[in-house]
Parts: sequence; C-alpha cells; structure tokens
Amino acid sequence: MKHRNAFVITTLLILLLASLLITVTMGPTSLSLASILEEPTAGMIFFDIRLPRVIAALLVGCGLALAGTAMQGLFKNSMADPYIIGTSSGASLGAAISIVLLGGLFLPVFAFIGAAVATFTVYMLAMHRGRAPVETLLLSGIALSMFFSAFLSFLMYSAGKSLHQIIFWLMGGFWNISWSDVWIALLIVIGCVILYAYSRDLNILSLGEEEAVHLGVNVERLKRILLFFSSFIVGIAVSIAGAIGFIGLITPHIMRLIVGPDHRVLFPSSMIAGALFLLWADTIARSFANEMPVGVITSFVGAPFFIFLLRRRMKA
Amino acid sequence: MITVDGIDVGYDEIERILSHISFDVADGMFFGIIGPNGSGKTTLIKALSRTLTPQSGAIFLEEKDIASFSYRDLAREVSVVPQETNISFDFTVEDIVMMGRHPYLTRFSSETPADIEIVRHAMELTNTLRFRHRSINEISGGERQRVIIARALAQQPKILLLDEATSHLDISHEMEILSIITSLKGDVTVVAIFHDLNLAAHYCDELILLNEGRIVSIGTPAQVLTRENIRDVYGIDVLIRTNPMTGAPYVIPIVDQPVPAGGNLKIHLICGGGAGTDIMYLLHRKGYRVTTGVLCVNDSDFTTAQELDIPCVSVPPFSQVSPPALGELEKRLSDADAVLVTTMPVGPGNIDNIRILTRYPGDRIIMVEQEEVEKTSGDFTGGEADRIIAALKADGARIAGSYEELLTHLLTMKTKTKQ
Repeated sequence: MKHRNAFVITTLLILLLASLLITVTMGPTSLSLASILEEPTAGMIFFDIRLPRVIAALLVGCGLALAGTAMQGLFKNSMADPYIIGTSSGASLGAAISIVLLGGLFLPVFAFIGAAVATFTVYMLAMHRGRAPVETLLLSGIALSMFFSAFLSFLMYSAGKSLHQIIFWLMGGFWNISWSDVWIALLIVIGCVILYAYSRDLNILSLGEEEAVHLGVNVERLKRILLFFSSFIVGIAVSIAGAIGFIGLITPHIMRLIVGPDHRVLFPSSMIAGALFLLWADTIARSFANEMPVGVITSFVGAPFFIFLLRRRMKA
Repeated sequence: MITVDGIDVGYDEIERILSHISFDVADGMFFGIIGPNGSGKTTLIKALSRTLTPQSGAIFLEEKDIASFSYRDLAREVSVVPQETNISFDFTVEDIVMMGRHPYLTRFSSETPADIEIVRHAMELTNTLRFRHRSINEISGGERQRVIIARALAQQPKILLLDEATSHLDISHEMEILSIITSLKGDVTVVAIFHDLNLAAHYCDELILLNEGRIVSIGTPAQVLTRENIRDVYGIDVLIRTNPMTGAPYVIPIVDQPVPAGGNLKIHLICGGGAGTDIMYLLHRKGYRVTTGVLCVNDSDFTTAQELDIPCVSVPPFSQVSPPALGELEKRLSDADAVLVTTMPVGPGNIDNIRILTRYPGDRIIMVEQEEVEKTSGDFTGGEADRIIAALKADGARIAGSYEELLTHLLTMKTKTKQ
C-alpha cells in the first residue's frame, strides 16, 4: 500500500514536470524550446506571458484541489468543494463590486476580501458557545452563498456595459497573468504546507468531531485552522483566476479512489493532480478554444466525469 | 481512581440533565451505569470524557481535575468506545487502530516501531488482526466495534469508557466483546453503560443506578438490583434470582401485569417440593386469586408464593402440619372456589394437606397430573396418600393432564358467592 502510494505520487510528479515542459510551448503562438533562447520575440512571449501563466495555473490548480480535499475531510463528505462555505460567492461579489464601482480597480484585492468576509461570516453564524458544528457551518455556508448571489445578481442587473466583464471573471481564466500574480500565487504554497502539517489530525476529524476529541484532537482549533487556511488559499486562487469550478471537487474525489483516504498521501497527490488538471485545461483553452474561459473547460470535462463516478459508486 | 465530585451537567442552562452526582471508581474496577432512557447515563459518560463540561462540580483523575488536562494528555488517560461509529471514508482497519496512537505522536513525527507493535497487540487482543487491511466499511458491525475497541486500547488508557458499546450487537458478539474487556480488568478501569441489567450484574463489580439525573443507588450488583429499586426506577415488577453459574443477581421481568381474566375465582393450591411454582406463576399471570399451603418455609414453593405475594399457610422448616396451620388451611379451603392438587411428594409431614380434602366436595377439586413431573412425586406414607387421591378421584375430582386443560377446567368453575 505504502509503496503503491509512493509510486502514484512519483508518477504524478513526473507527469507534472513533463506537462510543464510541453505546455509552455503550446498556445496561440507555438514555441519550440530551442526558439525561446534564439529568437528575442519568442523569448519575450515565453518569459513574460507563457511562463507566468503556466506557473499560475499550476499553483491555482494545486491550491483549489488541496482546499477541496480539506473541506471534504472537514465535512466528512466527498461532495464538498472549496467553495462550500461561501468563499467563491464572497469573492465573486467582491470582484463585481470592483468592476461595477471602480472599473475593475484592485479587483484581486476586492475578490480576496470578499472571500475572507464570507468565510468569517459563515464561521461566526455557525458559532454557538465556542463551538461551530460542521453541519451548521455547511448550512450557514449555503445560506450565505445564496444571499451573496442575490447581491451579485443585482450588481449584474445594474452593471450595464461592464456585465460582460463580470461574466468573464465569474467563469474564470488566466488571460492577464503577470509575474506579480505569480508572486502572490506563491502564498498558496505556504497555505499548502501548513495544511499538510495537519493531515493526521484531519484523518481523525473525518471520523467525527466527538471521536476526534476522544483521540486527543483539539477539534475547534483544528476547524479554525482548516477553515482559515483553506479560505486563504481559495481567496488567493479566486482573486487571480476567478471562480474556476470542479477542480476542487473532482480532484480529491478521484485521488481518494486511487490512494485512499489518508490525508498524508491524499493531500500531496491531490495537489499535484489538481495542478496537472488546471495546467492542461488552461493550455487547451488558450491553444485550441480561442481563449475560452478555463472554467468552462473544467466544468465541461468535470461534470460528466463526476456523474460517471457517482453512477459507478451507486453500482458498487 | 476517578472521583466525581458534585457535578451538575446540562446541555442548556435551564435544562439540567445530571444533578449533584458524586461517586468514586477505584482503579481496575468494572463499573456499570444503569438506568432508564433519559436518565442521564450518556451524559455522565460525556462528562467523564470531557465532551461535556459540568456547570458546577468537578471530575478528578488521581486528584487532578480533568478540566486541566490538555486534549492529548486526556486522550492518553481516557479512551471512549461509542455506541456506533459512522466512518465516511474507506480507511483500513489498521489505519483506524493506528489513530489510537495520535495522542502520543508529535505533529511532525510518524509512527515508530513501538507504536506499530502496540497497534498489532491491540488488534491481537480484539481478534481483528486478520482483517487489518480491509476497509472499515466492508466489515460487519461486530467486527467494526472490535476495531473501535482495538483503537481505544491502542491509546493505552487508564480508563476505558463504553457508551452502550455493545447494544447494537447480537448476544454472541456482545458477550465476546464484554469478555475481551473483562480480560483487561485490573490494568484498565472500565466505566460502561448497560441496558441489559443481567449483563450489568454479570460483568460489573459495582453499579450506579440513575433516574432523572440523580443517583438512586450505588454499590454491588446485589445491593443495587433490588426489586424495589427496579420497580421505583423502571416501573416494572421483577423477580430477583441468583444466577446459579455466577452468583450474580439475575433479574426476571414479570411479563404482564395481572389481568382480571380469572375474575373473582378463588383458588387454593396444595403443593410442595417445587411442584406448585409453575402453576403459581401461571395463575398469578392469569389474574386468579390464589392461596396456598400448608408449606414449610424452606420449601421452594413457599419462596415463589412470597415473590408473587400469594397468601400462604406456613409452618417452620421440616415440621409437620400443625393443628393451628390445619385450622387456617380449613378456612382457606372453605373460602376457595376450587382446590388444585399437584403431583407432589407426600410424606408424614404433609399428608394432612390432602387428608383434609376428603371432607371437601369432589367436584371442586382438580388434580394436576403431568407426566413429566411424575418422577419428583411419590407416596412416602406407605400407600395412604395414593388411597386418598384415588378416593378423591372417585368422589368426582377432575384431572388436568396439562396446564391448558387446567385453565379450561377453571373457566367452567363458578364462584360460590355470586357478586
């Protein structure tokens, strides 16, 4: 079992490296690795456009998959996704406010603040006598998402010309990625390392809160850590690339089928798989689909696959 | 030693579930918590495991307040086996048991060979080793509960709390698990909730009986499981016997309350040597007004009569039916609408019990003759008893070969005094 998991992770890592090398050459202008060094234009496209975009896609994919894994563990439910506690609706509302009121100024900042406010509100709503039961968290998250969506719809309704911009942002994509975005995306890595350190605690929490207490886990603190760092990662990911769906739901689900539920293995393998998934989705978007929003592709591929898994599990 | 010192516990300020609970549990003891639904048993376990914090009072482990323990330190002292576990993800059995080592591992350390050995030993004890690589969701309920016990043991606790840990299992699995736990006694103090009073009596050194959040009784099973306590708390009537194999008290619920099926029919039962016990239970259940005697107070039929509150004419142990007792018997007989005579051993001591019947109308006598009890009966009077029985039959006494036949005869009997 241990050997098999090591093999899976190694294979995924090799695939990721190979994909990196292949995807940087792909795009509206295809570049050969040799031309990057020889031709100045090719080099510029590579360093200023292609490379930051590929790295950002990789980090965002990694972050969303990890946050999805953490939420599924926390909610003991493999149908949970990183947006379940209102993060994406908060970020979307923040982004829409920026687009409508400020013409898109500080959009990532607004998106991040929106995500943070949403998560914090959900946590406070679910809090009762120093405890925030996961069931209440889940329901407060759904309620708040709906509430924020109402606001978002209202903004879209009154957005006028900028409606197109809002819709584009909501579908998610990596059009205008620069190196500054990549530096911000590196914060995702820090969040990932911290969450990984709690993987054994999360294993135990996924048995149930009371049992986790009996096994010596400080459950309320663990929940705060998981919610805080997941939202932090998701907030950053969403502020960079918009609300890209399905990666955070599908990836952990598939990887759990392959490596099992132990988060010490599941976390790293989901991260790599998520990175791979988004890397290729974005490559397809920019190379073959005329810069279609990448969220369209992830959902287009993800939803049928998800249904397939669901049906298969029902038969089992 | 666990010291519970005057705790009040409630989920809500207004709604108090436990009030002023104080008791001690000595090291190495198997301590049972019993009481009806909603009496606060689970709440007490939750207070002991610190899942619930008492509003007042405190719980001490070796004189240290459990409120002062860190999560990890408490998990090294106390482990809990819940009634049921739902595990959403397919962890292997070994993964689950290994989680018991969590309180001993630091954040960045992984399991040492010592941990692996402890886990293996816990699985060996609980007989779960052979399916350690299977998913926790593929195994049966009994197997899963053993795995959870293995995990609790891997915590190497001083105290093991069982919250009705076996109540979803069938009797063989229940016994298996309780035997595993009993085998730990001495090293581990066990505090367990029981629904089955007889299992509690069998396994526990001490019991605490709760009702409406208060302690009704605490002590050895024999002290706690009394007819009065059970009637007060559960509202049912029971018989308390001694389990012949263990010496523990054995609780037998009296299934249905007397119903007036028997109406006002008064029956006097002549029995002895245990021949009347089953009939007394039967008639009592059917609601007849039964009297019995004359019996020696060391006769098992006398004990039954006492248990069922059946009026009984009695004489001291191993003594003959005395004139005053005979007088009383005569009074009972003249009151009775029917007299039952069981197949019983008759000797010089109790021959008067049947001799007196010759003066009684034969059609009001029913001889209960069951073939299977023939062996325990007999005439030890040199033929006189048999002659009397034959005379009674000749005089019109009816014969009932089975209890069913007996009940049929009784239905045709009429009360002497119409009411």
